[in-house]
Amino acid sequence: MKSIWKSLVLFAAISFSIVSVAQEQQPMLGQPAPSFALKAIDGKTYSLEQLRGKYLVIHFAATWCPFCNAEAPYLQELSKNYRDKGVEVFIVDVKEDKALVEKSFARFNFSFPVLLDEDGAISTKYAPEGVQPDLARHEVPLASNLIIDKQGKIRFYSLLNTTTFDAKLTKLKEKLDSLLNSK
Amino acid sequence: MIMLNWAILIVPVYLLAGNKELTPSDVLEVSIPEVTVTAGGSSVIKMKVEIKKGYHIQANKVNDDLLIPTTLKINEDKNITTGRQEFPPAKKFKLEGTENFLDVYDGTFEIKIPFKTIKKIPKGKYLLNAKLNYQACDNRSCLFPKSIRFSILVIVI
Repeated sequence: MKSIWKSLVLFAAISFSIVSVAQEQQPMLGQPAPSFALKAIDGKTYSLEQLRGKYLVIHFAATWCPFCNAEAPYLQELSKNYRDKGVEVFIVDVKEDKALVEKSFARFNFSFPVLLDEDGAISTKYAPEGVQPDLARHEVPLASNLIIDKQGKIRFYSLLNTTTFDAKLTKLKEKLDSLLNSK
Repeated sequence: MIMLNWAILIVPVYLLAGNKELTPSDVLEVSIPEVTVTAGGSSVIKMKVEIKKGYHIQANKVNDDLLIPTTLKINEDKNITTGRQEFPPAKKFKLEGTENFLDVYDGTFEIKIPFKTIKKIPKGKYLLNAKLNYQACDNRSCLFPKSIRFSILVIVI
């Protein structure tokens, strides 16, 4: 009887630590990035396939998301500073229409494409399994930042954590610099 | 043996619980005591909003027009007119790593809604349908804007 209880407690502890670790560590590292082909507000379609050979920085956003908007000027700065190094920045706006996104993001003067994931299907594909299981899957990547390498693999994936919020993208830039320097 | 059966039962329940998606009422709850008023009289509805621990919602007045403020929409009855809603002052939520703050509510707060009835209103119970719109975040996520619908009971005596 005692041993069954011990096993139960052990099972609960292991389950809890698996969930905690999944949420603390960056998910999906080294995995192939889920493919996408999305229309941007500039009318062009961008696909992961056609972007092979470049480093991509992808930020999942919505116009009402306070943490996304706090990062927006720093994404623009990053795009400006890293474009010549072969880095392309994208925002993937989740479940909003073009007119709203175009109007709302006009203030940021983004020089990079804002992609429209109007049905949330791509955002859902980027939701790491087991993370935030109580959220709709398209909500999970909101305010996250990813680096995808030239081979299409995920090399950095920071999920939102408001207590260690990195609006200035310091850690992402560190990782990007290390990837660029190790060429 | 009985304990073993419990073990089998507990595991699937635990796993299933993790897959349940949040509903609006998982984030906040609204409660309103019934309000009594005389025909032609006025009173104030005091609506209590209880936000679940760990969450905050954007305040009624936000410092950035891209944010979704908390708003309350009440479908009025032809006999009952509501006045200017009174929301509490917002709390400041620091956006770490920046100098910026969000204006938010967390914990429990009250919205006051003054109303008046017309003189010819018949005695009885009146239900005002209402909708609270909000956008919530916790430490790990920002949820899409949501609404919670409810009714306010006004008793005319």
